[in-house]
Amino acid sequence: MSLVSQDGNLKVSFTLNGRATTVQTTSTRVVSDLLRDDMNMKGTRVSCGRTVCGACSVLVDGFPRAACSTFTFELEGRDVQTIEGVEGSDGSLDPVQTAFARKSAFQCGFCTSGMILLAKSLLAAHPDPDRETIIAWISSNICRCTGYELIIEAVQDAAKAIKAEAGA
Amino acid sequence: MSEQKPLRVVGQPIERADAHAKVTGRARYTVDLAKPGMLHAKVLRSPHAHARVVSIDTTRADTMPGVRAVATGPKLAEWVAMPVYGYFIKDQPILAMDRVRYEGDMVAAVAADTEAQANDALAAIRVVYEELPALPGIDAALDEEAPELFPEPPRGVVPPYGEGASAKLWPRKNVCYAFRYTTGEADVFDGCDHVFEDEFRFSRMHHMHLEPFVCLAEWLEGDEIEVATSCQNPFPLRKEIARIFRVPENRISVKVPFVGGGFGAKNNCKTEPLALVLSKMTGRPVRFCMTMEEAFLTNTQHAAVLKLKTGVMADGTLVARQSHILLDSGAYSDASPLVAEKAGYRITGPYRYKHVDSVCECVLTTTTPSGPYRGFGGTQATWASESQIDMIARRLGIDPMEMRLKNLVALHEPWMPGESGVDSDMAEGLALVAEAIGYGAHKKAEPGWTRGHGLAIGFKDGGGVNKPAQARVKVSTGGDIHLMCGTVEIGQGARTALSQVVAEILGAPLKRVEYLPLDTRYTPFDQGTNASSAITVMGQAVQRAAVSVRDQVLQMAAEHLGTDVAALELEDWTIRHGNEAHPLAPIIMHVYGGTGFEFTGDGFHKQANDHHAPLETKSVFWEIGWAGVDLSVDRETGQVKIHALAVSGDAGRAIHRLICRGQDEGAALMGLGQAMFEQMIYDGSRLINGEALMYRVPLAEDLPEQFTSILQEQEHGPGPFGAKGMGEGTMLPVPPAIANAIQDAVGVRITDLPLTPERVLAAIIAAES
Ligand code: FES
Ligand code: FES
Repeated sequence: MSLVSQDGNLKVSFTLNGRATTVQTTSTRVVSDLLRDDMNMKGTRVSCGRTVCGACSVLVDGFPRAACSTFTFELEGRDVQTIEGVEGSDGSLDPVQTAFARKSAFQCGFCTSGMILLAKSLLAAHPDPDRETIIAWISSNICRCTGYELIIEAVQDAAKAIKAEAGA
Repeated sequence: MSEQKPLRVVGQPIERADAHAKVTGRARYTVDLAKPGMLHAKVLRSPHAHARVVSIDTTRADTMPGVRAVATGPKLAEWVAMPVYGYFIKDQPILAMDRVRYEGDMVAAVAADTEAQANDALAAIRVVYEELPALPGIDAALDEEAPELFPEPPRGVVPPYGEGASAKLWPRKNVCYAFRYTTGEADVFDGCDHVFEDEFRFSRMHHMHLEPFVCLAEWLEGDEIEVATSCQNPFPLRKEIARIFRVPENRISVKVPFVGGGFGAKNNCKTEPLALVLSKMTGRPVRFCMTMEEAFLTNTQHAAVLKLKTGVMADGTLVARQSHILLDSGAYSDASPLVAEKAGYRITGPYRYKHVDSVCECVLTTTTPSGPYRGFGGTQATWASESQIDMIARRLGIDPMEMRLKNLVALHEPWMPGESGVDSDMAEGLALVAEAIGYGAHKKAEPGWTRGHGLAIGFKDGGGVNKPAQARVKVSTGGDIHLMCGTVEIGQGARTALSQVVAEILGAPLKRVEYLPLDTRYTPFDQGTNASSAITVMGQAVQRAAVSVRDQVLQMAAEHLGTDVAALELEDWTIRHGNEAHPLAPIIMHVYGGTGFEFTGDGFHKQANDHHAPLETKSVFWEIGWAGVDLSVDRETGQVKIHALAVSGDAGRAIHRLICRGQDEGAALMGLGQAMFEQMIYDGSRLINGEALMYRVPLAEDLPEQFTSILQEQEHGPGPFGAKGMGEGTMLPVPPAIANAIQDAVGVRITDLPLTPERVLAAIIAAES
């Protein structure tokens, strides 16, 4: 459990993009505000603010969560990944990012952070997903621009690339 | 000319210029910006559809914690020269003056240290209203008993029109604008074998761009203005700000970073004037970021009623069409006059007629102001027109595809008298989508279901009217290319495509081109990012700027090398002269001295004014979308299952194929949403689904079983390398193609959108009884 500090704030400890992190925050602070406003990590986008669009998706213990509707204290002891933690420490792109880039699986890019994290979680659960599985997962996020086909194809490409990498 | 050489950048499978920024989350949007000392603005909105504002008491709010300024309409006069804005008619107040005209109209605003404090203060503002009758829709607003929404009509302008077109301001009660286009003689109706009259209704969508309406505005010392905003047309916005605050345009900097979607909504003033007022009041930068719920209360598509009267010969030859279109403009005129112009003009679609008489009126109602929306009146027009063409074909016992083929305006044939020639072979496109869905050869349906096919063609003039565009290309001594132009990267891929054009002409790889940040102080002028104009209008300006630089470089090199320009080629900042290669940097230093030089080329494009053209300029290009649908209808429930949706657009020449594909597919899916379920639902004047949970937009699971997009490159476009604009075309034909397929399947015609199971079932039951 998170600890209430002397000034009435919460102290919350979790792993953020592989790094042990402790934050002082209030009980009502949501994760998207924590990331964007307190930690200046703007890659997590906020659109609807109410668990519908998925633009704000981050991975908590490997699964997508709407950062706009998750309280910071819910992160206590968890493993959190944001878009900033997807590329390698040397700046190399993750296979999902590469596939999105190559396939132009974005337009305005506002859904892209969330879609990429969603796709990573999907591929961790289903390394060889069929079209239906991809559609079922992707349907939890809204993309107003692309019509989804190129996103689906990017996820398929990423799955192939990850498999090829593992086989090599 | 490089146009003849094999293309090395244009049309090549390269990554978008913004790919890295967007897949790493590093792309910066207005919503991400902050300044030290920044305040947050929030607004109080009217709970009534129509009311007189009797009094506003802000005394409690004024002194609440964190509150730095409270603004109300009556107080604005102190801070603002002209507190109203609008496109043709300046009727929308920054804050309500004496009246509110829709639920959500802005009444008061607070700037505070945090958004939460601003919201708390809003709750402490007391407003006394005296309710007036609501006008929730077109019928109510036109009713004889209806009150005037604007008892004293605000002033506006009618732009010059060419032959056959005209318009009137405030022609009758609650109608702010009426556009008319007419050509040929009405008496040709007398010679028609049949005259059909039908009425159609078009529902209204919200853009639901994911990045909110947001700006960060600062009124600086000495009356300088700096505003970063999520906006599609920074230069017209600058002009509005200059007029509203009476500040010279050269003291205003409008900056536009990446924009997270707009689809038309982000044209003209949204958050900016109010944020500037609050900044002026406080001397601090002010961020005004609306929620998604507020976006629903800010701008929408136009609902419409469209009456068509079409005269036709027994063999299916179209002769004459008269139409009367009523657009629900919402509470303020916004872009309604422009949308009316387009809906009225486009109502005949891609077919040849001897006589056209089309009237389109903008009806003010007590609902969210309607404005520009992908398709811009063309969506409404295509829905009615392509539905009626199909209905007429079936009434005459002619195959709807045959009927279309018989009447299509041919390639290069002027669409209307005085217009430019159509720049796609439309029969070719129709054949492609028909083939993709196996048109005419119905597959077996499941028991209880019947299968049907439908086709439609969306047709609109593209590239906008009166859009001058300027661009500048600069290349430094080392060959680094700067591209400066006012096209906003809103997701459509303009940065990439325009940079590709420059790279191609300068023989450079795409990575050499930097698309510089847009700032109205330094970026050459552009009218706005809309009307699918980027590649055809700005593209030509960019092309000229790049050609100018290339010619200067070759000229300098030719003089230096003592040879003829024609013998030289430019390739990755190296001059090729036969088998010799001369890197440019040393030559430049030799010619201009050790500090080097920068080559600068300017380009300009504007479609020439032409009074014979109905809209004063010939259409820059024609944006066409073809759609074919294969579906089944469940006769028991009215449910519609789409087996295949095939759409096609003609890019003329695809500068970037995947970007074009994405535009076509995104537009088609928006059309699918419009057709099947997506709509703003009103209970009277109250929007009841104005937030993400209740407002249904297409998800991946809404994709048809088979979704095909066919990218054509017919190479007749006016843009660089034969390119045409795209991004709107394939949205237009989807709703009528689906309605046409439903009729093909179950013999009933739905004339209202969306095509819900309830509507389909009701029509089936009505037809059976
Ligand atoms: S912003 Fe969190 S789900 Fe939409
Ligand atoms: S790319 Fe714009 S919302 Fe997906």
